[in-house]
Amino acid sequence: MIATRTKLTLSLTVVAMVLGFMISVQYKQQASARLAPATMARDTDEQKMMAQLDALKKANADAQKELADLTSKLSVYEKQSAGSDGSLKQMQQMLQDERILAGLTAVEGPGVSVTLMDGVAKGGDVSQYLTHDWDIRSVINELFTAGAEAVAINGYRVVATSGVFCTGPVVRVNDHRIGAPFVIQAIGDPQTLKSALTQQGGVLDLLRQRGVNVSDPQIQQVIKMPPFTAGPTAGGQSSDDGEG
Amino acid sequence: MIWLPVIGLILGVGIGFAVNVTIPVAYSSYLSIAILAALDTVFGGIRASLEKTFDGAVFLSGFFFNTLVAALLAYIGVQLGVDLYLAAVVAFGVRLFQNIAVIRRIAFNRMHTRRTRSARDSGNSTDAS
Repeated sequence: MIATRTKLTLSLTVVAMVLGFMISVQYKQQASARLAPATMARDTDEQKMMAQLDALKKANADAQKELADLTSKLSVYEKQSAGSDGSLKQMQQMLQDERILAGLTAVEGPGVSVTLMDGVAKGGDVSQYLTHDWDIRSVINELFTAGAEAVAINGYRVVATSGVFCTGPVVRVNDHRIGAPFVIQAIGDPQTLKSALTQQGGVLDLLRQRGVNVSDPQIQQVIKMPPFTAGPTAGGQSSDDGEG
Repeated sequence: MIWLPVIGLILGVGIGFAVNVTIPVAYSSYLSIAILAALDTVFGGIRASLEKTFDGAVFLSGFFFNTLVAALLAYIGVQLGVDLYLAAVVAFGVRLFQNIAVIRRIAFNRMHTRRTRSARDSGNSTDAS
């Protein structure tokens, strides 16, 4: 009797240990799968494509970095070659101005910033309370007309080849998807830009009348803007063409 | 003595958490079937021990064999496109509940006989060990 009892206890212990081990392993697995469902993609094709996308993004970022490096080197060479020749210097200055307009260099300077946000719908047509792509476009156009040298939306530079398009709930700027609130920054003469935006019956007035949430344009002494970057999709091509 | 299996279970869980063993996601479902089979075997063993029909060799071999066969069945099912793991889930699930029901009934019977024995002192030999 004792022998069977011992045997029973021993075998139960062994079995319970194995069972506990299996359960805890499985639990760990499930917990980690719940925590990171994206990385636990069941489909191997999906995983492969994710890896490819990651590699492409990395290559893209590397290429962007290289471009920035080369551009800075180029500007150093240009400064050296300018020397004392007056006309050459003038041309260099023009080139620099064009570069700023084309968004090839990071810029920094005084300017204004204004924030557009979807308003709260109070009946009627809901779409009139939303910030649309054309609203952003009209603000940008107003700023450029008023003499802005550089404009950025949520940190993305807007240049001649940029587009601002509506894609569902978000807006595409240079193929970067951005959502509200839209912080539009412009570098230029702050007073001129501000008065252009705040004029009676101007762009912002119209937007406010429609119910869109528009902040007062604020003058900022230092605005930093990165150079123009195209989005992850095609479209970088056009910016590169603009360089030549 | 009776706590040894519980300590073993806790030890097993501890080892499972401590050791960094991961099973590929694709095999995770086989492991769950294996766990179900193992659970079934453990409850079957408890039931057998309560019914005094426990056999250590049968129990141990049944545990590992059932576990492996359940996983194998699920694997074959996946290969053939038949949801054989459902069969395993149903079969083991039904047996699990049956075993638990039997264990519960035996436990109630014992409580009952103990109470009547203490009341009437009429020896019922069901729980003599």
